[in-house]
Amino acid sequence: MKSILKIALGIIAALGGFLDIGDLVFNTQAGALFRYDLLWAVALGTLGIAVYAEMCGRVAAVTGRPVFDVIRMRLGFGPGLVALVASTVVNLLTVAAELGGLAIILQLLFDAEFSLFVVLAAIGLVIVVALLPFGGIERIFGYCGLMMIVFVATAVHQSPDWGEVAHGFIPSLSSSKLYLYFVVGVFAAALMPYEVHFYSSGAVEEGWDKSSLRENRLNAAIGYALGGVLACALVVVSGYLFHPLGVEPGDLGTVALPAQGAYGETGLLLALGGMMFCVGGAAIDSSFSASYNLAQFLGWEWGRYRGPKIAPRFTVSWLIFLFLAMLIVLSGINPVEITEYSVVFAVVALPMTYLPILMIAGDRSFMGEHANGRISTTLGWVYFALIVVLAVAAVPLLLMTNGGGG
Amino acid sequence: MNEQGEILVIHRLLDEQILDSEGKRCGRVDDIELQGSPPRITALLVGEGLYPRRVPKRLRGLARRLAGPERWGANALRVPWERVDRIDATLHLCCKAEELGLGEGDDPERWMVRRLPWN
Repeated sequence: MKSILKIALGIIAALGGFLDIGDLVFNTQAGALFRYDLLWAVALGTLGIAVYAEMCGRVAAVTGRPVFDVIRMRLGFGPGLVALVASTVVNLLTVAAELGGLAIILQLLFDAEFSLFVVLAAIGLVIVVALLPFGGIERIFGYCGLMMIVFVATAVHQSPDWGEVAHGFIPSLSSSKLYLYFVVGVFAAALMPYEVHFYSSGAVEEGWDKSSLRENRLNAAIGYALGGVLACALVVVSGYLFHPLGVEPGDLGTVALPAQGAYGETGLLLALGGMMFCVGGAAIDSSFSASYNLAQFLGWEWGRYRGPKIAPRFTVSWLIFLFLAMLIVLSGINPVEITEYSVVFAVVALPMTYLPILMIAGDRSFMGEHANGRISTTLGWVYFALIVVLAVAAVPLLLMTNGGGG
Repeated sequence: MNEQGEILVIHRLLDEQILDSEGKRCGRVDDIELQGSPPRITALLVGEGLYPRRVPKRLRGLARRLAGPERWGANALRVPWERVDRIDATLHLCCKAEELGLGEGDDPERWMVRRLPWN
């Protein structure tokens, strides 16, 4: 019974950690522009992160090795360094986007100067990380992020034409560059690499071993599936409300409006609260991910479980990443714009970190009987091909559509 | 190590994470010292001063300028092969990191680390 409860709590934490500012921005815009047409891309991205996370979690549980440990081993120093630099740039942009998003949400909740909230949000995150152990951080943001369920309730409350919603899950392509840009965007927003890097390092932080493999499978299968439902709900509520009106949501406040339409002020507060914890949690995950990657590549001591006394370089680099992200947001670039760049460049960098994991997860000399089976191998390579295609298409589409601006 | 182990040197040894006798992470295998004929591994080489060796030839000059020269005992350390205890999922040493000068960046006795507010 206890283990079922533990697994259920783990799943909830995984679910809460799934959504971030990338999903909020891209999925809401995708709904407003194309109604339910892009739901298939959300589902495809969700299955992709489940496949990738399951492999990373399994490698971490069996060998004790998180992602960048494996990357240095498999790619060697030079190519590994390229993967590290690319991932770090993307991570830094992501931390900036999440921090800026957090400040916008705080501003909507407690009206005051934006830049003040950027600084307060950064200080708040440092305090939370300093006071709480790793599991506590993961759980607080995971559980409170569940307020996002209000978007699922809103979708049901709106009672859209479910046949039309179901039709959105049938993949379709169009020659519209804007449509293709959003295919890449919602797919990439679901498959942000920092989530997986964080997940695999978290497995080491929590001392996973082979007995955790069941928990890992369930997290990937159920946690990410439920996360995918939330991500789809964002598209549906926006498609229902904004598409007929021709509204293009350009800021984060608009994301929460459908919940207000359905449940009044309570709905709005739940939506903003859920968004705050999702984005705040993602700010911690992405900034941790940046210093995990650096420390693992260079062989430093790392981890929240080691504490700042044993892992000072890891802790200092985390503070520096957070500080640099704060400077980026304070420079005045719109956080929604930073989000778009972070998501698009994330998919460009993704193949470099995905391939080594796919290789080691299939390597029997490392993984023994837990190496990829037929299904994981097939899915893994299909997704690798897909990611490579999207990585190549991402930047041209970004430029041709002027960052989704049409 | 057995004969089969020798051909796995690059595959399994280079870039491997190093743990000391207390399980502390204290660097990665940045290069390997071979001596004799047939060559045998005599030491593992560790440290950021060795990074320029690991980048493509054309970039080596630039990397050397950025990282500075190899200073043995400072940014380039030699771990004698006898100090390696075993290799399983990672590489374990049979002594503490400090004895070999490894993991100094995380050493609380170093002045920069000592000045951190939590120390």
